[in-house]
Amino acid sequence: MISETIKNTPRAIIPYITAGLPSLDKTGEIIKILSRSGAAAIEIGLPFSDPMADGPVIQKASKMAIDAGFSLDGFFCHLNGWCTSTHTPIIVMSYINPVMRRGIYETMDRLKACGVSGLIVPDLPTDPMDIFDISSTIGLDLIRLVAPTTKTDRIRQILDQCMGFVYAVSVKGVTGAREDIPDGLKQQVKSIKSMTDLPVCVGFGVSKKEHVDDILTFADGVIVGSYLIENIIGSPNPTGAVRKAFSRLIE
Amino acid sequence: MKGYFGEFGGQYVPETLLPALEELEVAFAEACLNKRFQEEFNACMRDYVGRPTPLTHARRLSGHTGLDIWLKREDLNHTGAHKINNAIGQILLARRMGKRRIIAETGAGQHGVATATACALFGLECIVYMGSEDIKRQYINVERMRLLGADVIPVTTGSSTLKDATSEAIRDWVANVDNTYYLLGSAVGPHPYPTMVRHFQSIIGAEARQQILEAKNRLPDAIIACVGGGSNAIGIFSAFLEDPVELIGVEAYGRGNNKNAASIAFGLPGVLHGARSYLLQDKDGQILSTHSIAPGLDYPGVGPEHSWLAYTGRVSYKLVDDTDALAAFSLLTRLEGIMPALESSHAIAYLDKYGQAHKGRTVIVNLSGRGDKDLHTVLGSDL
Repeated sequence: MISETIKNTPRAIIPYITAGLPSLDKTGEIIKILSRSGAAAIEIGLPFSDPMADGPVIQKASKMAIDAGFSLDGFFCHLNGWCTSTHTPIIVMSYINPVMRRGIYETMDRLKACGVSGLIVPDLPTDPMDIFDISSTIGLDLIRLVAPTTKTDRIRQILDQCMGFVYAVSVKGVTGAREDIPDGLKQQVKSIKSMTDLPVCVGFGVSKKEHVDDILTFADGVIVGSYLIENIIGSPNPTGAVRKAFSRLIE
Repeated sequence: MKGYFGEFGGQYVPETLLPALEELEVAFAEACLNKRFQEEFNACMRDYVGRPTPLTHARRLSGHTGLDIWLKREDLNHTGAHKINNAIGQILLARRMGKRRIIAETGAGQHGVATATACALFGLECIVYMGSEDIKRQYINVERMRLLGADVIPVTTGSSTLKDATSEAIRDWVANVDNTYYLLGSAVGPHPYPTMVRHFQSIIGAEARQQILEAKNRLPDAIIACVGGGSNAIGIFSAFLEDPVELIGVEAYGRGNNKNAASIAFGLPGVLHGARSYLLQDKDGQILSTHSIAPGLDYPGVGPEHSWLAYTGRVSYKLVDDTDALAAFSLLTRLEGIMPALESSHAIAYLDKYGQAHKGRTVIVNLSGRGDKDLHTVLGSDL
């Protein structure tokens, strides 16, 4: 379902927001706004105390959400409502520890039951066969990341287990806005596309409309996180801020 | 499976780092088989670090506890702790791999000082991540690192201690993976780090085994070592795992329940910093903040091999709190004229309890470091 939606959206932008920032109620409103503004899918990040793949902005967002009382129980209370409030596919991003703590099967089953379409885990083990099998059984897309350093054999192995879309990490580094798109990105995406029929979406470091325009000439979609989060954190009116920031990208 | 100790360990890292871990694994395996590398490491240990370190018979402490106590004197290493063994080993490996930018995390500052020292020795760039809380309580080590030419970067995220410094070092590595060597200081992290750190620290156990056999013509009854991440403990335990010797790890009980760093006693299996191990976490899998008076033990996880040794029951893990560790600092200083690091003081403190039940037994304590760095904390306490 995600792959179809992305392929059928001419300007496929996937916004990333942190769940519970500034509150779970606001997250619900932000989801509706992003959906109405034309998001191809929405990635909701679960705040984690030790987000080692994230830069300062998402680190800060995670801490603010946890300090504001984020809990998985609260999240699951809202999640079904969020998913039914929109036709836009919802994707959840979580580090592996919260998923394992609650149980891999239980977490994925619950996500699926709430209406979530896909799961992204930035620190999957090298050989995530159990998780892959569970996601197939449940029918929840396990979206895999391919880094600029990933070698061809490994890319093939990842693609064999990837569902929904391929998340092409644009940079060597953590999440966060950057000035420029790396030189090798186009070639990286082209090479992944030659190995799969799945859509390939680019994330990490995308913060400007020019980045989005440029990336969409060779990739199927683009994920934007820190730029939106920064606008949410910095504004007394987070929903208004996110609407404005996202519309700047989608136009 | 590769890189696992039972169900603990593994490689749970951002995809970007996988090729770097593979490269490291290959380089380490080659180095282990390379005679010249081994000779170079042994020469550094002998001529620069000052090994072998003595095994000191602690006569007055023995009398005090009713035990026969021997201290493995890692405090007498150059830079004052066991950390230098691993730092030198990994620096030699980094050189073999052609990496000239070295990054490290540090808690107590001992690993940071050891890394900065090894970098000075070989003329390599050195960046050390350190929690701002630890910078406050271990400022002498911060000054030492800076004098040695290292760039000490304060980490203010999370609890501003060792776990956050480790996360920040990993983030740096992800961003600079081509030219950077991450010199991890404890037996934690993704494979091959736990195995590699044990390898370089196993010199402690190998020496201690030979020394006690020479002194007593028999193996000891027990080995006691403090456990944070667990590098000094795994270093000394490694030589005795197959022997009928009781192995005891001592975790930091801090200020008691909910204010400690005892991940084996109170943690559940989970993933932090790239490996599965016992972890202090809440019901949502968020990592809990920890407390120990000894910054080197103030970490919510523990090495995967220790997790496995706890799970199988080969090693028993005990608790010592801040107060008893401080008392042990004072006791060893007055009875033996040896000032232990507050980390090592946890191992010393357990002797009292052990002696009550096991009078007359021969025990080796791994005195992992010296206590000069902790004077500030000790003098500020109510001791």
